[in-house]
Amino acid sequence: MIEIRNAGKVYGRRPGVVALRGVSLTIPAGRVTAVIGPNGAGKSTLFGLVLGFLRPSSGDVSINDAHPRDYMHDHGIGYVSERFALPPGWPVRRALAALGGLSGLSPDHVDTAIGEFGLTEHRDKMVGDLSRGLLQRVGLALAFGAHRDLVVLDEPAEGLDPVWRIRLRDRITEQRRAGRTVLLASHDLAEVERIADTVIVLDRGEVKDVLDAGSDKAAPTAYRISLSDAFPRFAEVFPNATANDTSSYDVVVDGVDDLNNRVAALIEAGGRILDVRPAHEGLEPRLRRMIEP
Amino acid sequence: MKGLLTLVWLELYSRRKRIAALLGFGALYLIGALTVRAIGVGDHGQVEPDALYQFGGYPLVSAFLLSGWSIGRYPLIIVLVLVAGLVSNDIHAGYTRIYAATRARLVVLYGFRLALLMLLAFVMSAVLLPVFDFIILGKLSSPQLFVLVSAYILVFGSLTALFSVFTRGDAWWALAVWVAALIWAAMKRGGLLAHSPPGIDPVVTAILPPQAALNTIEDAFGMMQPTPWGAFLYICMYAALILLVAGFALSRREI
Repeated sequence: MIEIRNAGKVYGRRPGVVALRGVSLTIPAGRVTAVIGPNGAGKSTLFGLVLGFLRPSSGDVSINDAHPRDYMHDHGIGYVSERFALPPGWPVRRALAALGGLSGLSPDHVDTAIGEFGLTEHRDKMVGDLSRGLLQRVGLALAFGAHRDLVVLDEPAEGLDPVWRIRLRDRITEQRRAGRTVLLASHDLAEVERIADTVIVLDRGEVKDVLDAGSDKAAPTAYRISLSDAFPRFAEVFPNATANDTSSYDVVVDGVDDLNNRVAALIEAGGRILDVRPAHEGLEPRLRRMIEP
Repeated sequence: MKGLLTLVWLELYSRRKRIAALLGFGALYLIGALTVRAIGVGDHGQVEPDALYQFGGYPLVSAFLLSGWSIGRYPLIIVLVLVAGLVSNDIHAGYTRIYAATRARLVVLYGFRLALLMLLAFVMSAVLLPVFDFIILGKLSSPQLFVLVSAYILVFGSLTALFSVFTRGDAWWALAVWVAALIWAAMKRGGLLAHSPPGIDPVVTAILPPQAALNTIEDAFGMMQPTPWGAFLYICMYAALILLVAGFALSRREI
């Protein structure tokens, strides 16, 4: 578990540039936690503090009660930085062997990671000869190949084509299934919505909100019900419904059983249903509301 | 350990152009030495300035003396060029964060890399300088030469590594403090510091590179006197202290 207690970060001499102020967060183990926010919100600074690359100007950060750098030394982490880079004159295979070796990976594991991330035909190339997407895959092979308990991904989909974005999503889902902790920064809200359990919204160095996306997906209580025709008696079955138009309503129920009972009552009363779907609000409108003045 | 060795090998591999340039630079000295030998070898099998003077006048003798002095700085030049950017370039490019995310300690990682680069600087100098001396003097140098080479490499390798933790201008800073140390040592020899405020001389002398100790070793080598091991020990302790400070700073600094 990652604990961030009242952490602040100021760059430069006083008064300096405030990148983060008074951030307190608990990032639970075994879940996918995403950090979203506009450019300059403080996402990379937050990651720098979490990994011990930066020292907080105030407050403190720990991973499993240890200083982040000590944790990294003892356990290692999977890490992809924003715009991952390695020295351009290094051959891919040797670069992965060296860094994988430092992470405790055997040559066989390194070759497996190379294969899994579609790098086999590029293994003898120089890092500098790789495209942005291929280089990002080298970073992902390192991050996921080591099978660490903590995986930190700062804009991991940068430069990836759609196929590898899907594969990345699958990888992150696998990490969650394996009980690993994933901390992710991304500008792709749709992707975040799909994979994150918790979403932290940062803006101007402050936490604006922490959204529990996981519970929203697992047990929704808000639904949108569309009917084939207008049905004036809808409110008799769903008294708290909000009408979008004459044949579409947003309703709030106590759970799946309550929903099923009410839908049955609606059909019995003569309502003809076209569609029932969870109506949780997407990230985009929520983010927009939070960060717009 | 294997990952560390591979990374160290990659370090060498990525600096291959620098190494080639330094080898080329060394080859120029050897070509120069062979040229003056062809022009001005004396009866005792060594290059004679008088013979050079007869052939090319003062310019040729000056060039010969200058090349003799500057080849003595080859260990300094080579270690500055090889170690430059050791940590600072990686921090600037973001590689240090990737290394830190493995289980490696940065101090150990960069310590290994520095040791390798200093060893390489030693080997290159320890080959070039005796060959140069052999061409000019017609005989092998004394083993003291290796002590002199080690002393320069220890002092300026460690200094460049220390500056590299803080700035990308690491080698230039090391060069600047060397020039400052030369000037300070010259002022001291000339008695210009006799009236300086008490305490200033020992403090500045302790902070600057140990030029007096380097001069002592160089003089002993030039005059074929026994190796001044006390001066060499002082240099080793200076380098060790600088490396300790560099290691502490690296473990504390943001990356």
